[in-house]
Amino acid sequence: MDLAIRAVALFGFVYLLTRIIGRRELSSMEPFDLILLIVVGDAIQQGLTQDDYSVTGALIVIGTFAVLQILISYLSYRFPRLRPALDGEPMVVVQDGKAIEKNMKRERITLEEVMVEARLQQVASLDQIAWAVLETSGKISIIPKQ
Amino acid sequence: MAAIPDGIVLKRHRDLEGRRNHAWVRRALIVLVGLVPLLALFNLFGQRPHLATAQSAHADLELYAPGQLRGGLLWEARFTITAHRDLKDARLELDKGWLEGMTANTIEPSPVGEGSHDGKLVLDLGHVPAGRRYVLFMQFQVNPTNVGRRSQNVRLYDGETFLTTIHRRVTVFP
Repeated sequence: MDLAIRAVALFGFVYLLTRIIGRRELSSMEPFDLILLIVVGDAIQQGLTQDDYSVTGALIVIGTFAVLQILISYLSYRFPRLRPALDGEPMVVVQDGKAIEKNMKRERITLEEVMVEARLQQVASLDQIAWAVLETSGKISIIPKQ
Repeated sequence: MAAIPDGIVLKRHRDLEGRRNHAWVRRALIVLVGLVPLLALFNLFGQRPHLATAQSAHADLELYAPGQLRGGLLWEARFTITAHRDLKDARLELDKGWLEGMTANTIEPSPVGEGSHDGKLVLDLGHVPAGRRYVLFMQFQVNPTNVGRRSQNVRLYDGETFLTTIHRRVTVFP
């Protein structure tokens, strides 16, 4: 029982973190972020299973995570009003070649980051961008002008 | 203006109508998350030890141990008895909370004897001459499932004569 409760608590905490940290931070994996991710994973594992090395313990934890993940996915599908809270919403950051500063500031996105994404999608300048949308995954979709 | 991408509602996704307070909710949650390590710096979640003392005409008792712990932690309690007069048979009586949900790794120096009195652990330390100090170290590990608050009172006896007591409670965080 203890393991399941710990798994629920940590799942909730990690879910909350991913919702509040900021989408860009989570989607861009710099080397430091990768190391941090491993360290966080290790810290979670220690708090979760502590001295329990049993297969039963692993089954309880993984099972709890799977159920919670399915539950969140179901809630998001079944109740659209919950979707913004559970998954977030897209945000327009560039329209018709003009950056929307207040939206970028809110998500702590720089114009350089938008331009990196633009270049990756074969768009050379800001003027050529019709829409840049920060998606719920943290990726920036670039739609070039026709 | 270029055609609006499907699924994008300008009022909601560009002008952020109905989303203005989201940023504040997020900031509040960030503060809440940041509060945990901040409180930890102030020893709210252990394990910094603190000193508790109790005096009597015959002997003083000091206990240096953390009052807040977390599951799995190794920790130490140091008992110091200062005898003002000869203690023929110094005894420490420890509440159940000292051992329930804890693994006692070591007790040094080993007591002369151990026993149970009314469900409490009794450590028989033997003779402590007047003016001398007796220091006892106990080292523990918190069992991960031991969560909550427990009484860890300590009583000092000389034989059957009660001398003094330290009242304390320990909080174990998950």
